[in-house]
Amino acid sequence: MLSVKNIVKQYANHRALDDVSLEVEQGKIFGLLGPNGAGKTSLIRIITQITAPDSGEVMFNGQKLNGNHINRIGYLPEERGLYKKMEIGEQVLYLSKLKGLSTAEATKRIKFWFEKLEMGSWWNKKVEDLSKGMQQKVQFVATILHDPELIILDEPFSGFDPVNAELIKNEILELNAKGTTFIFSTHRMESVEELCDNIALIDKSKKILDGAVDEIKASYRNNTYKIEYKGDVNFENNGLFEVIENNTIKDGKILKFSLKPNYSVNDVLTLLLPQVRINHLEEVIPSINDIFIERVKR
Amino acid sequence: MNKILLIIRREYLSRVKKRSFIIMTFLTPLIIAGFYGLIIYFSIKGINDKTDKIAVVNENKTLTEKLASNKNVTYEYVNKSFETLKKNLSKSNYDYVLYLPDFDIEHPKGIQLIGTKQAGLTLDGRISDSIEDLIRDYKLKRSGISQVDLDNLKSKVDIDTKKIGDSGKEENSSAGASTIIAFVAGVLMFMFIMLYGVQVMRGVIEEKTSRIIEIMISSVKPFQLMMGKIIGIAMVGLTQFLLWIILTFSISAVAVGVFVSKDDAKKMVNSSSQVGAANPAAQNVQAAAMSDSPFGNVQKSLENLDFGKILLVFTFYFLGGYLFYSALYAAIGSAVDSETETQQFMMPVMMPLLLGYALSLSVVTNDPYGSVAFWLSMIPFTSPIAMVVRLPYGVPGWELALSMGILIAGFIVTVWFAARIYRVGILMYGKKASFKEMVKWFWYKN
Repeated sequence: MLSVKNIVKQYANHRALDDVSLEVEQGKIFGLLGPNGAGKTSLIRIITQITAPDSGEVMFNGQKLNGNHINRIGYLPEERGLYKKMEIGEQVLYLSKLKGLSTAEATKRIKFWFEKLEMGSWWNKKVEDLSKGMQQKVQFVATILHDPELIILDEPFSGFDPVNAELIKNEILELNAKGTTFIFSTHRMESVEELCDNIALIDKSKKILDGAVDEIKASYRNNTYKIEYKGDVNFENNGLFEVIENNTIKDGKILKFSLKPNYSVNDVLTLLLPQVRINHLEEVIPSINDIFIERVKR
Repeated sequence: MNKILLIIRREYLSRVKKRSFIIMTFLTPLIIAGFYGLIIYFSIKGINDKTDKIAVVNENKTLTEKLASNKNVTYEYVNKSFETLKKNLSKSNYDYVLYLPDFDIEHPKGIQLIGTKQAGLTLDGRISDSIEDLIRDYKLKRSGISQVDLDNLKSKVDIDTKKIGDSGKEENSSAGASTIIAFVAGVLMFMFIMLYGVQVMRGVIEEKTSRIIEIMISSVKPFQLMMGKIIGIAMVGLTQFLLWIILTFSISAVAVGVFVSKDDAKKMVNSSSQVGAANPAAQNVQAAAMSDSPFGNVQKSLENLDFGKILLVFTFYFLGGYLFYSALYAAIGSAVDSETETQQFMMPVMMPLLLGYALSLSVVTNDPYGSVAFWLSMIPFTSPIAMVVRLPYGVPGWELALSMGILIAGFIVTVWFAARIYRVGILMYGKKASFKEMVKWFWYKN
């Protein structure tokens, strides 16, 4: 639904985006990852039409991005806040009217969402009377209220306590199930694995990796396994694998090894089974976090 | 367009509903009316209620005529020595002792005035005037002028200044009245531009520090947000101004009734030759109270000034000047993270305004048709103040039109200029902006 094609954005002495292209599929949750200053926010600001690219273009449902698309996108920025002196209900009403909703329709939807997210009594409260987590909930409601086709969330979980983070996560999944597309920018890798279908990794203004989360993880498999066992055994010169580490734990030992080519993990088991008791065996698949660190360090 | 209206509405309502706005709106006219009432009160009662009683010790052999008492000063000639009077001054019922030694009439020296408190400038002036009169009279008589002639010499002159208006008709005018209006208009204009310009800046800073700015500009263009704020606050200013005018006039009418008792009013009305037509109670009293004083002229001329025109032009220059400066204030607000950082940027914006203010109230009021006045009222940095100051003295139509045209062009330029800095500045957090940085922002592509 959203194609970013060869975007270049140059600030005075600093190139924020260098020939970045992405493809966000309809109905998917897309993770935009990258260290601080990589260019994520610059890219999001181009998609939300806050700034314009120097070259390249963005297509929204096959159309070149234009002013009509503003109301079809919801954006929760990383640096976010609310008017401190304004009442909550009035404020969300104002923000959603700026997105083109009528007063009646907006009021109806605000009531619905406030009820749903346990904010029913907040209408007349002022922002300064709310905790940070409560404000985040208000901002989330304001982002999704106009029922956008594409929702862009920049670090959506920062500032949430675990209970509310879970609540918001479930809302994201529910909206996604109904067909809303998400772009999700974060450094928190565990939430990426939980939520995202596809990711793109941006580092130093360039896209360095993208694809489906499970495919990327699969491609980073490197025949590493972990065995938890009890007993004594000498692994030297076994010809099957190389020991990465062998640590003693409370209840036995953990062996991490990398398999040599042309052998399977069954061969390792055949070797070990007569000598030790095996409690646990698993393949070590790199997490997105590991991949992230590895790619960014490179 | 619909979005900009929504922004204007919010900016307007959120300010008008504030308690501080309501208090300011109602308190200021009360204070103005209070001052107005006090002025009228004192012009009836005489500014100085108290009469100073002065014991005069005259050792001068030449000056035999006595100093004439008046309503402010009473002179009593006493036959005691200066020293004894001085000693017992605090116990006596005199406020001061005036000592006239036996000086040479050509070189009056050694006159002393001693009191329990320091004599003010006014009293000092009055006494020396009296003595000077006495000496002059003595000299005139010495050269053979009779007392009768002397009395005839004294006459009170009151100039009735008129000017030929555009229509060729004679109009009452008074430099005094024009100056008062010019001052009031100049001060108001300066206050307004400052007050509401700074409000725009605060609003921008508030949006930046509360971090709502990025949420806002994902819905609206930065230019819409900036203009919405500027226009919304302008309407707050106009609302306040309008309420001030209405309230001041209605409260003044009431205040006059309170400050001036009915008996006083009747007395004044009877003794007065001027009888106002409308609103008899208030106007008669005022007219009467002032007919005897220099205020009388001013009052008369005030009635001849074209208030409708002045008000219209004032409103235009308020809007023009405000737009001109508030756009610059918006740019400043966008460049900083808190109000404390605004100092270095405020200076260059404040300087021309302050300069315009100071020059308008000094040079322009002294010479409203001079070249300084002309140029100040053309340059858009100073024209809002300079022109409203010049206005009561009368400004040729073409000058007014030219100045207005330049101001319109001026604010289009500043709004355009400010918008280019604003759109970049609002997204810069935690970065210390400098003028160099702002110039860079100006040249950024979208």
